[in-house]
Amino acid sequence: MRPVDDAYFEGLESQLDEAFDVAEAAKTRGEDPVPAVEIPVARDMADRVENILGIEGVAERVRELEGEMGREEAALALVEDFVEGTVGDYDTRAGKIEGAVRTAVALLTEGVVAAPIEGIDRVELLQNGDGTEFVNVYYAGPIRSAGGTAQALSVLVADYARSLLGIEQYAARDDEVERYAEEVSLYDDETGLQYSPKDEETKFIAEHMPIMLDGEATGDEEVSGFRDLERVDTNSARGGMCLVLAEGIALKAPKIQRYTRQLDEVEWPWLQDLIDGTYYDDHGDATGDDADGDAADADAAEGTETDDDDDASDPDGPPRVDSAGKYLRDLIAGRPVFGHPSEVGGFRLRYGRARNHGFATAGVHPATMHVVDDFLATGTQIKTERPGKAGGVVPVDSIEGPTVKLANGDVRRIDDPAEALEVQNGVVEILDLGEYLVNYGEFVENNHPLAPAGWTVEWWEQAFAAAGADVQALRDSPYVDLADPDAEQALSWASEYDAPLHPKYTYTWHDLDLDDLCALAEAIDGAAVQDDTLQIPRTDGARRALERLLVEHAQGEATLAVDDWRPLARTLGFDDDLERDWTSDDFGAAVREWPNAMKAVEAVAPFAVQERAPTRIGNRMGRPEKSESRDLSPAVHTLFPIGEAGGPQRSFREAADYTPDMRAEQGLVDVQLGERVCPDCGERTYKSRCGACGAWTDPHYECADCGVVARPDESGRVECPRCERELDNVERQTVDVRSAYREALQAVGERENAYDILKGVKGLTSTEKIPEPIEKGVLRAKHGVTTFKDGTVRYDMTDLPVTSVRPAELDVSVEQFRELGYDTDIEGRPLTHDDQLVELRVQDIVLPDGAAEHMLKTADFVDDLLSEYYGMDPFYEVEERDDLVGELVFGMAPHTSAAVVGRVVGFTSAAVGYAHPYFHAAKRRNCDGDEDCVMLLMDGLLNFSKSYLPDKRGGQMDAPLVMSSRIDPSEIDDEAHNMDVVEHYPLEFYEATREMADPEDVDITIAEESLGTDEEYTGFRHTHDTTDIALGPDLSAYKTLGSMMEKMDAQLELARKLRAVDETDVAERVIEGHFLPDLIGNLRAFSRQETRCLDCGEKYRRMPLSGDCRECGGRVNLTVHEGSVNKYMDTALQVAEEYDCREYTKQRLEVLEASLESVFEDDHNKQSGIADFM
Amino acid sequence: MPDSTPVRVVRELARRGYNAERDAVTLIADSPDPDAAVERVVDDAGDDALTLTAADVRDALGDGPRTSARSADAASTDGGATARAPETGGDADDAARRGSTREPAANDDERGGASDANALDTPARGGTTRNGDHADPMDQVDATGRADATSTGRDGRSPTPPEVAGDVTGHSTGAGEYGDFVTVFRDRYERLSKKLRGRVNHRPTEALDAMPDGSDAAIVGMVNDVRSTASGHWLVELEDTNGTFPALIMKDRDWADVVDELLLDEVIAIEGTLADDGGILFADSVHFPDVPRTYRPSTADRHVQAALVSDVHVGSQEFAGDRWDAFADWLHAPEADAVEYLLIGGDMVEGVGVYPDQDEELDIVDVYEQYRAFSERLKDVPGDMEIIMIPGNHDAVRLAEPQPGFDENLRDIMSAHDARIVGNPATVTVEGVDVLMYHGVSLDEVIAEHGDESVSYDAPHNAMAQLLKKRHVAPQYGGRMRVAPEEKDYLVIDDIPDVFHTGHVHKLGIGAYHNVTLINSGSWQEQTAFQQSVNIDPDVGTAPILDLDTLDVTVRKF
Repeated sequence: MRPVDDAYFEGLESQLDEAFDVAEAAKTRGEDPVPAVEIPVARDMADRVENILGIEGVAERVRELEGEMGREEAALALVEDFVEGTVGDYDTRAGKIEGAVRTAVALLTEGVVAAPIEGIDRVELLQNGDGTEFVNVYYAGPIRSAGGTAQALSVLVADYARSLLGIEQYAARDDEVERYAEEVSLYDDETGLQYSPKDEETKFIAEHMPIMLDGEATGDEEVSGFRDLERVDTNSARGGMCLVLAEGIALKAPKIQRYTRQLDEVEWPWLQDLIDGTYYDDHGDATGDDADGDAADADAAEGTETDDDDDASDPDGPPRVDSAGKYLRDLIAGRPVFGHPSEVGGFRLRYGRARNHGFATAGVHPATMHVVDDFLATGTQIKTERPGKAGGVVPVDSIEGPTVKLANGDVRRIDDPAEALEVQNGVVEILDLGEYLVNYGEFVENNHPLAPAGWTVEWWEQAFAAAGADVQALRDSPYVDLADPDAEQALSWASEYDAPLHPKYTYTWHDLDLDDLCALAEAIDGAAVQDDTLQIPRTDGARRALERLLVEHAQGEATLAVDDWRPLARTLGFDDDLERDWTSDDFGAAVREWPNAMKAVEAVAPFAVQERAPTRIGNRMGRPEKSESRDLSPAVHTLFPIGEAGGPQRSFREAADYTPDMRAEQGLVDVQLGERVCPDCGERTYKSRCGACGAWTDPHYECADCGVVARPDESGRVECPRCERELDNVERQTVDVRSAYREALQAVGERENAYDILKGVKGLTSTEKIPEPIEKGVLRAKHGVTTFKDGTVRYDMTDLPVTSVRPAELDVSVEQFRELGYDTDIEGRPLTHDDQLVELRVQDIVLPDGAAEHMLKTADFVDDLLSEYYGMDPFYEVEERDDLVGELVFGMAPHTSAAVVGRVVGFTSAAVGYAHPYFHAAKRRNCDGDEDCVMLLMDGLLNFSKSYLPDKRGGQMDAPLVMSSRIDPSEIDDEAHNMDVVEHYPLEFYEATREMADPEDVDITIAEESLGTDEEYTGFRHTHDTTDIALGPDLSAYKTLGSMMEKMDAQLELARKLRAVDETDVAERVIEGHFLPDLIGNLRAFSRQETRCLDCGEKYRRMPLSGDCRECGGRVNLTVHEGSVNKYMDTALQVAEEYDCREYTKQRLEVLEASLESVFEDDHNKQSGIADFM
Repeated sequence: MPDSTPVRVVRELARRGYNAERDAVTLIADSPDPDAAVERVVDDAGDDALTLTAADVRDALGDGPRTSARSADAASTDGGATARAPETGGDADDAARRGSTREPAANDDERGGASDANALDTPARGGTTRNGDHADPMDQVDATGRADATSTGRDGRSPTPPEVAGDVTGHSTGAGEYGDFVTVFRDRYERLSKKLRGRVNHRPTEALDAMPDGSDAAIVGMVNDVRSTASGHWLVELEDTNGTFPALIMKDRDWADVVDELLLDEVIAIEGTLADDGGILFADSVHFPDVPRTYRPSTADRHVQAALVSDVHVGSQEFAGDRWDAFADWLHAPEADAVEYLLIGGDMVEGVGVYPDQDEELDIVDVYEQYRAFSERLKDVPGDMEIIMIPGNHDAVRLAEPQPGFDENLRDIMSAHDARIVGNPATVTVEGVDVLMYHGVSLDEVIAEHGDESVSYDAPHNAMAQLLKKRHVAPQYGGRMRVAPEEKDYLVIDDIPDVFHTGHVHKLGIGAYHNVTLINSGSWQEQTAFQQSVNIDPDVGTAPILDLDTLDVTVRKF
């Protein structure tokens, strides 16, 4: 570590310590559940693992082992410790296995995610048919967050422990094997798996699995074939189990095999068959053939086979990647498609990494964002054809923008966002979406063969140099712009150096076919030059050719005028007098048989011409970007229960006035609360602090049957020693909300008019049901913030990476940046101007405007809380958002249980959270449209309590059970290590792309190489700059358009405009994926709906025979009405008609329409009907 | 015309615009060169002839003397039963096209011998007649046809049009409002509770609270909730028009497993004793509306049969066209002379959009084409049979039950064979025998909910018996069943049928419940990928043949 990095972390930690001290002091004064900060600080992964698991001694052992071996090996070594009892304190064999499995999963997930605590419910020993014991591991849904490798290894660890403990293997019964197959496929249909094993594969795994994989039911749909099995206690799909089997064992078999080979005790010889796929042999070839047939069908069904496929397999064609249409699945209404798979006119692949670019991001020109009707904004997620599945859009203005055709017939390329906004309404066709910047590391991470690179300046420069030009001299020359030469210069370079023509004048000849080319040449035969403009006769062929070539031109009455025409004419074999010395008859077979006009161009051009854009990438909009405060639904100011007394709004004011009847005292509310007892004076209360003597109370467990008072055991379970039944301390208590509310207002010196409404909760969901002090809610309401389930105030935003920033674009001054410890710019020069590029430190983050505003409110709330409630000095004292610069926050992702400390360094108008890629990776996020939250440090320290967390599966997720104070690059999700960190990609790289080489075979430095060195926190260079990290629209049109209908209209309208999009297919998918399921689902829901009392809200599974509410006699009504069932019917029919959808789709709609009529219309009222016919 | 079966003759004649008497067809089919025979007969036929008689054929083929004895006789009795001629040119073209594409299969003379005539014997009620003849039906046609030619004439079929009751078609008055739902459930309660009130001394739920503790009481109610208590007993909440009342069924009662049979929203009676502290009824017995054991079904007063099929699924890639052909051929055989009625229990076609990505598994993607193709299949059925059909869940009608019969558009498509189209469910009376036809979607639920293994897909008739016992074809609301509210509950089995006919589960099931014959037809769709994945092995190409005079069932397998 460099001294400067050391100072940075020391600075963060001392700032953290300072806040910690304040919070600890405060906590001893209030009435929090625990008089101490409840988020322990973990300095490294070993700490986090131990903190999350709560097993003492793990951290120490992990540190020991980590020095000697890899993490996976350490997990296996720990199994021995657990079995021997040197780590963990377990009496039972099942307990030892459970400890080992949990620890392994925690280790493999860097102690960040909740999977080890939430994803593994328990391990138990059950009996085989022959009476021997076997191990059953009981998984739960949150095991998902562990990822395939950790899931698979959890099984291996369990098996290793099993063999060390001398327990027999699991012998699956036939019906259990079949059940696995049915269940996995059911789960795949319902929820979807990343990898869908065939039934044969699932059965093969089930037959050989040495331990039983079991789990909780996660869905409502039940299996229909193999039900009510003795050893499977549910008929629903067990999601956790399905994930472990499919995405773990089946998908990661090669990885597990690596470890089974190292262990003598564990023999999984069947893995080899699984990897080779030879398990079909047992069942005859027919099955295998069937399966293949299915796969082929499935591919065909995607309907995305394009000519490119054929080209790729055809030796007489250019190298092309296969098109892939998977990203089009589950298209959503209102979220447009930007390009069909590999379709001409779609995004053109350009290689490079912009500074706001990293893993799972796509660089798009801001002009493109506007041209696609503002549907793309910084942070908008797109589902993409390649190299990954999804990515977040980042604005990069150093690449090429879109080419559009205007209403007057002119074709223009637009490289300026302002110009894009100007012409936005006049665009009739988007001929090309511009370039799409993807970094090399992305291909490495996805293990995707390199796709042929487009002909770009960075490649040309190197090819030019290789051809003998003195590029450095030209670069230094004030008269030459290598990126933007004039035509004359470009032509002379091409002829002088025998280098391919400069990309600026290289058109997409490969998108023409030979006939187009000849048509254009013939048109030029009849063309004339006026005012140095080429006037080509306006023929359909010429116009089509120019549009496909993306040649900018103006359309006149009879001509098409091309300004910078010489390179175009020259490439087509014309001289400046528009004479050519070839005819189409000259072309040989090689030229004619080539799938596009490229060979013809090579034949007629006097210089080499490269393929301009051989790789087009299709994509569609996924999620919109996000930047908004996280509110529970409905929003909550304090976690204090008021039952139904607060009305549907859960208003404290209403609850304070509540009376069940006329005679009762106001504000007495019955709610479920935990019973507590003061250890000092014995006073009973529901509060965490004794009202009489001020001591912190303990939960009081009393057996309702026998009155015995019990205490929790080590695992936290409480059992009545006499009745042996499990106890909790929850009971129905009457709370005087009126006086509690009034006292709280008084305590913090507020009046009720400080806010509109103070909202509580209906009931508490935590185990001990301990309420939050109402005072906190009063102050939250006053400052307009709400609380999450754990007591913290949160703000959500889409993650995006950035490795270098300019103070100016973050709306902060150079001075502020220097105060933050930034002394030099990225080149090492002293930082003096606010437009110098500075390398961002790993835990520094940029807040969107909305987050900054929210943080200001939170800071005011925290200050008020400290001074009015805890009786301390305010901590933040912020006036404006500049004051937030340098403050610490927690970053925290869903599905994880560890927060990462970050520091605010600036602000952006984009609705995203920009931070160093390592910061996101430390939260186990990538940037493919994922979102997570920030919390203000002091708010988290003061207000978070584990005691508020829901007592249900997943309740521990998304809660800061531990925090990481500093990021160790070796301990983060390793996908971040695949990011490339160079300024140029070498010539060999570009050449290798044309051979579609494996990305690993190319030598480009990635972040991995600096791990463990002094340089591990620095040196993140980029190939492309962007003027600002917030260009293009601030919000996607998806968020600014109103109704779903408006969005869908805009989506279809855009589909019409985009050359790369087949609007019929889009309409079809919207109907199939949105309208039809909606109609069918609502119609189904209608005919089996619940009903609800309009007066008291009571729900009935079926309409009461009395007709009225049985509880209150009120009016009962339907929950699903005709209006909600057929709201989309007319639109769907209209879209199907307008966009010429296929008959199948139209007929489905017709049948549904008839069904709707039949259900909702009275035959006897119809003008004519079946009755007449009868 | 390589296939000499009568079906093909009829088709050829139909294509040329003629109907023909049965004997005429037989004669042509028996001629050495049926192709030429058809041509000759058609050439000879007068311009105004619509129906070719046996006499016409004999005249045309020039072998009048040999069979002249019976021609007049046949012509007079067959007058009313004729195959309809195709009405449009399009249909005729279709028939021709389809005919030619199917030639290779139809040409295989061997195909019937081993499998098609494999009569499957499933005795119902002990005395089912056994179909002793295992000969190829095709051979029989030829043999008996020839025999006919020399013997005295046979009577043709003369079915009487059925009467239909309990059919919602054309009377769907519900507008999908809350009140409509309440009306349906009240109607259910009122009609079914009547059947129970004679047996127990019903007290309204609101009166029970006022009764002295420990007194005997009974409730007739709709099952509102069934749940187990912490100690393993069962709490059954019954509802009447006043409110609800809980009844406790102790787990140690030897009849406690009756709880396994209970479905939500069925109407039952519980007799028992009120608890000491009131508020709950300790159950002593549970009663269902049920069918009396003494029930005696009506029968036809002549020997006449009905074929009960369902789940044809035309349009599916798995549609068993060959089996259907064999079935249709058999119906033309003399052996099937008594089969005058064909009852089809729903799922005529595979439909569209029944499940996701269904189009990938469709042979005919266009739903109207599916019905056209089905209509063509109907044409293969002898024209003098009476056909009655109800829709199923694959058909292009609303899914919510009761389902009205096909709309005019689909009726037009299927008008070729003048079938009687009614709703699901409906009771059709043929020759005095009441057949309750119901497609059977609720069977899935009964099988899933029923605790006993005897009620399974392998014995769908046991599930049907449950429905009879509850006197409702689909009691449970809110689960898989979809209900369309109407002015009354069409799903109540008000009158006891003589025969209960369902389909849907693609499994054959023949049985009887308190003398009501239960028939679940199999399907005409081979095992689908979905069925394979959930371990269902369907019974394909089975046609239960019901003797309407004895209610015996013989199952023919094709």
